[in-house]
Amino acid sequence: MASGAPVTAPSRPRGRCHSPVTAPGTLSRPRHGALTRRRRPPAGGRRPAAAGCGSGRARRWCSRRPWRRRRRRRGRPKAPPCCSWRRSRWAPPGRGHRRRLLFLLLLLLTAVSSQALTFTGKCRLTCLYGAVRVLGFAIASHQPGQQLFSPPTHCALALEALPAEAQPVADLRQLREEPNFAPEDAVLASVGIVKCSPERGLLVSESMFSALEELVQACCAEDEGVPVIMVCGPKSVGKSTFNRYLINLLLNHLPSVEYLECDIGQTEFTPPGCVSLTNVTEPFLGPPFTHQRMPRKMVFYGQSSCEQDSERYVDVVKYVFNSYKKEVPLVINTMGWVKGDGLLLLTDIIRLLSPSHVVQMDVYDWKAMAPLTPEHVHLAPGLYTKGKQQPKCKQMDASGAEDWKPPEGEKDALAPEYKLLYVHPEFPRAGVAGEASVLRDMAILGYLGQLQPPDIGSVLPLHSLVPYQVPFNAVALRVIHTDVAPTNIMYAVNASWVGLCRIPDEVRSQTDGPVLLTQTPVCDCLGFGIVRGVEMEKKLYHILTPVPPENLRLVNCLLLGNIAVPNCILVSQQGFEGEIPYVTSEYNYSILGSGKLKKKKHFKRREYTFPCDFT
Amino acid sequence: MAGRGELAWRRRPPPPDVARRRLKPLRTVVAWRGRAEWDQVMVGLYCGDSRLQQEALDRVSAWKSRYGPKMPLAVDCTAELIRCKVLDSSGKLRSHELILSYGLALVRFVNLITERKQKMVSIPLRQLAREVDIPIWVVDLRHELTHGKLPQLALCRKGCDVVLDWLRKTYWSRQLGNNLCEESEEEDEQEETEANTEMDSDTWEIQTPQHEACQKHKEFHEKVRDVLVSYKNEQFRVMQTVQSVSKSRELWSDSSSEVDWILAQIKDLMQENRETVAEVLLSDGFLIPTVECLKMLNIKYEANKEILQFKIPQTFYCFWRPLLTGLLSRSFTQTLIEKMFTELKECSDSSELRPQFLINWISEMLTSIARVNAGKKRRRCNKRIYVKELFLHKVPLQWMRLTDNCLEAPCWATPHLLQLILTSMKPRLPRSSRKNLLYLTSVYTEGGGPLSSPGLSSDCSEQPIYTIESLQWRARQESQAKSHEPTVERQEGVLGRHDGEEEVEEEEEEMVTETNPLEGLAYSDNMLAIAEKRAVLQGSAWQIIADEVQWKDFPIGKLPGQTDDPDGLMLDNYSMMSLLDQPARDEWKSPTTNSAELNIPVTGGLLWTQNDFHKIKSGLQLF
Repeated sequence: MASGAPVTAPSRPRGRCHSPVTAPGTLSRPRHGALTRRRRPPAGGRRPAAAGCGSGRARRWCSRRPWRRRRRRRGRPKAPPCCSWRRSRWAPPGRGHRRRLLFLLLLLLTAVSSQALTFTGKCRLTCLYGAVRVLGFAIASHQPGQQLFSPPTHCALALEALPAEAQPVADLRQLREEPNFAPEDAVLASVGIVKCSPERGLLVSESMFSALEELVQACCAEDEGVPVIMVCGPKSVGKSTFNRYLINLLLNHLPSVEYLECDIGQTEFTPPGCVSLTNVTEPFLGPPFTHQRMPRKMVFYGQSSCEQDSERYVDVVKYVFNSYKKEVPLVINTMGWVKGDGLLLLTDIIRLLSPSHVVQMDVYDWKAMAPLTPEHVHLAPGLYTKGKQQPKCKQMDASGAEDWKPPEGEKDALAPEYKLLYVHPEFPRAGVAGEASVLRDMAILGYLGQLQPPDIGSVLPLHSLVPYQVPFNAVALRVIHTDVAPTNIMYAVNASWVGLCRIPDEVRSQTDGPVLLTQTPVCDCLGFGIVRGVEMEKKLYHILTPVPPENLRLVNCLLLGNIAVPNCILVSQQGFEGEIPYVTSEYNYSILGSGKLKKKKHFKRREYTFPCDFT
Repeated sequence: MAGRGELAWRRRPPPPDVARRRLKPLRTVVAWRGRAEWDQVMVGLYCGDSRLQQEALDRVSAWKSRYGPKMPLAVDCTAELIRCKVLDSSGKLRSHELILSYGLALVRFVNLITERKQKMVSIPLRQLAREVDIPIWVVDLRHELTHGKLPQLALCRKGCDVVLDWLRKTYWSRQLGNNLCEESEEEDEQEETEANTEMDSDTWEIQTPQHEACQKHKEFHEKVRDVLVSYKNEQFRVMQTVQSVSKSRELWSDSSSEVDWILAQIKDLMQENRETVAEVLLSDGFLIPTVECLKMLNIKYEANKEILQFKIPQTFYCFWRPLLTGLLSRSFTQTLIEKMFTELKECSDSSELRPQFLINWISEMLTSIARVNAGKKRRRCNKRIYVKELFLHKVPLQWMRLTDNCLEAPCWATPHLLQLILTSMKPRLPRSSRKNLLYLTSVYTEGGGPLSSPGLSSDCSEQPIYTIESLQWRARQESQAKSHEPTVERQEGVLGRHDGEEEVEEEEEEMVTETNPLEGLAYSDNMLAIAEKRAVLQGSAWQIIADEVQWKDFPIGKLPGQTDDPDGLMLDNYSMMSLLDQPARDEWKSPTTNSAELNIPVTGGLLWTQNDFHKIKSGLQLF
């Protein structure tokens, strides 16, 4: 017991608390949790250094809580056959990817040393003894192995030993006889992971800790209605990592958490360009491309940013949010577009979804985003909604509105009521500079990995798989992001990424030609596919998709957005005579005008380069 | 130097055309299906006939959809300008309206094209224009359009023509291998770096600089290859003389002068670089056979798979034995086995021939070494022929290194191979270490348990090493069994319909099929999966047909029978469909929604102002 008590906290600099939320994690394990609580009367009291980070409070709510909801791992009903995608085909296709599952045997690590191990690489973690926590999720010894992915592009995962019960002495002696299996670098490397400095991993800052604590508490309290937690902040500030940590942490206590993805650029569970609502029951211990899952509700927005059509974006968010049943806590991820119109749009979204908690993440420049206090949001104008105005004198201008105090009683009718939590993350972030599109491609590849037949070890090239076929006139077609001349529409469709959607209208056609929609529908998306080919004579689309056939038969609409099939899929096709369509080695990017439109950088005017003070 | 070359080689093992491919320029994805389509559009845009121009513009609209935000600027600008010309010649617009459209197209052209050349500190447009050869008066025209009086239509028309001509010269006729003017290679640095960053995301192939050492290495490689090919040819020639595989086996085992000479050659080469010889031996077509090789030797690999667990097919063994026996000196054996492990590590997939043969070769060599070292007799094969051993003398090896190599290349067969190593290892590891190592390996390779090889399985599964281990193990097995249940059931049911024998095999060797499926089984499995899908899709518009189409012969975007005709995808008839009211929106707006808790502003302060506009807007038809 004594050796099991964590000694990590004192070594953390600057008062950070590395493993602050241990108590909930420990309690999550049904059997062990109960034991731990009885044996260790002051759960947090044994951890002197953590006290500064509010572990006192942690103890209070932990010991008070009559954990009624427990995580049931065994008893969960099996996934219905239509959910065969759950067989998490996590390895993206591609030649270089080895699909080895590796076991990391955490022997001494958990039992004796009780320290955190921050690492990059991938492995499969089976806890043989004691318990560890990874990205908020506690894994005890009786639980099945978890796949961990910690690529160097993302915030590294860390294994933290959770305090164990009294250790059987006999075991320990036996373990000590094997000095080879201490987590030495060589051993770790042979497993496939590399130890890295703790700074690369997720350091739970004080603000993050207290936010998490409050959120977990709110979610586990059953009296106040389920919380709706919205996480916002500028791009690549760590929203997704925070979400992952939060949800994993919640999964220690709750059987499921709902997740509303409003960030269409970097989606968590789906390919990019979607707004989706997912019921999360399994922890997610890696970047998005390793855990593509079928959401409960999904709409294909069709672009990776919504600047051009934010109105439809709002419609889409509304539509998806509508299917949230308010039975389990909801975590909402928002876009990192928080400047200019983006902030106005965020204000709209806050009004629309009326969260109970808003987590505002920001690093150092507070100016990137004004504090989104309920009062501020109440008054601030949105992109499509107006701020609160004084009903009597509407001519009052915006600056005047600030001073205006609403009379008592009238205030709560419309003012948003939520708790604002600030988080200053102190961990490395993903998606920096130019990586965003790579991450999107990875998500798509991860999704397409589900196409691989389950029992073969090899990765089959996509073009060798047998596609589905569907007549032109059975499915409606729409290009979302641009206007394409109808006669040429097959040139756009061929070899493209399509959302397989279901519109309520019946698709009817007098001819056998394709049916083109005149507007972009907001409708359920059941999955995605690649148009493998377009057969003009028989008027058939050939489509490669991992959507299970029982869902596929519902699909009556193909939506085409500007989410493209990753280039590597087309380029890496091999073994044909002649040219591969859409692939050329003769296009010369160094010729002027060959490149794409760059987003306008902020060019300095010449005169500004010489600082001169006019004032 | 040599080392670096070697590394470059190791990164991508076999295909012999690696070097050639590396020299090829980078491949990128573009919006046109092929050269013909590009040419057609270019000619169409510049032909002057407004009907053809319109058709080309329509195609460009499809390109724009394909490219999304990556649409090349020059194509975009050209299309915008041509669109103005088409409008102009249609006679539908008055001059003022035409000036506006020409104006916008011109302003966009000047700004977008020159902006790419901007540096951090903005440079005057005129200067940039001069750099890229855009007439100054066009820049002046732009200034006039944005800041001054609207110019005359004639001037706009002239500007448009000049700019279109500039685009044709600078972009269209130089692009896609039309590069007639190489001299403008010295595009300034920023353009270059931009191009590079663009390529980073647009290209796939890795470009490795050609080193001299690499070149040398390649030549040596080729030399070794040639000799090995001559050995193969010789052996095949012998086989053809007797027309029978079993006879040729005997003939192969008697050394001939021809073979001896080849052997001498290879030994020579080996003196120079042992590593490379091993490398070539392990490239496809030699010790790792291609499918054609197996066919020629009349080896039905798939059928024999079961018996040949960890054994090289007899004929194939005899085919290569003379060469190997000649080559396998003490040091080369070490090199070759190490190399095999390295190669095994590179294999991603255990069902292919390569890892299979690597594993089998390693296993053969190790057992042979074990026999020789123990002084035992040769093995006896079922056809009364003594198959000669690979090794004639005892070969002491660096066993620890081999153990390391073996552990570095984990695969399903690692426990078996490790056991072979551990048993012949000198000096031996202590018994407990051996046992633990084997056990951990079997956990590590996720075989679901120690490999069912005699003498080992009982040891490990009965005597747990760690006291808590057995419990966990069972728990994991159970949960795994549960999650696998549906698949296994399906497989078995399906096999039962097909072939009774296979079902038995399935039950007996569950582990083997799981980690190491037969290609044929996979194929039939695939067929069955398709049949299942078809059954589910019954009655819907969606179909899946497992016809005889060899899909793998057709890249994405191309179907059997489809030509490269650029007009191949043109539609002649289609119908438009407008959607009824989107239910989602109405649902939200209606006051009866579950809005009680949602704090939806029903009346008053917050209004959704633009929804109605949006409806009208989205109902508009643009074509």
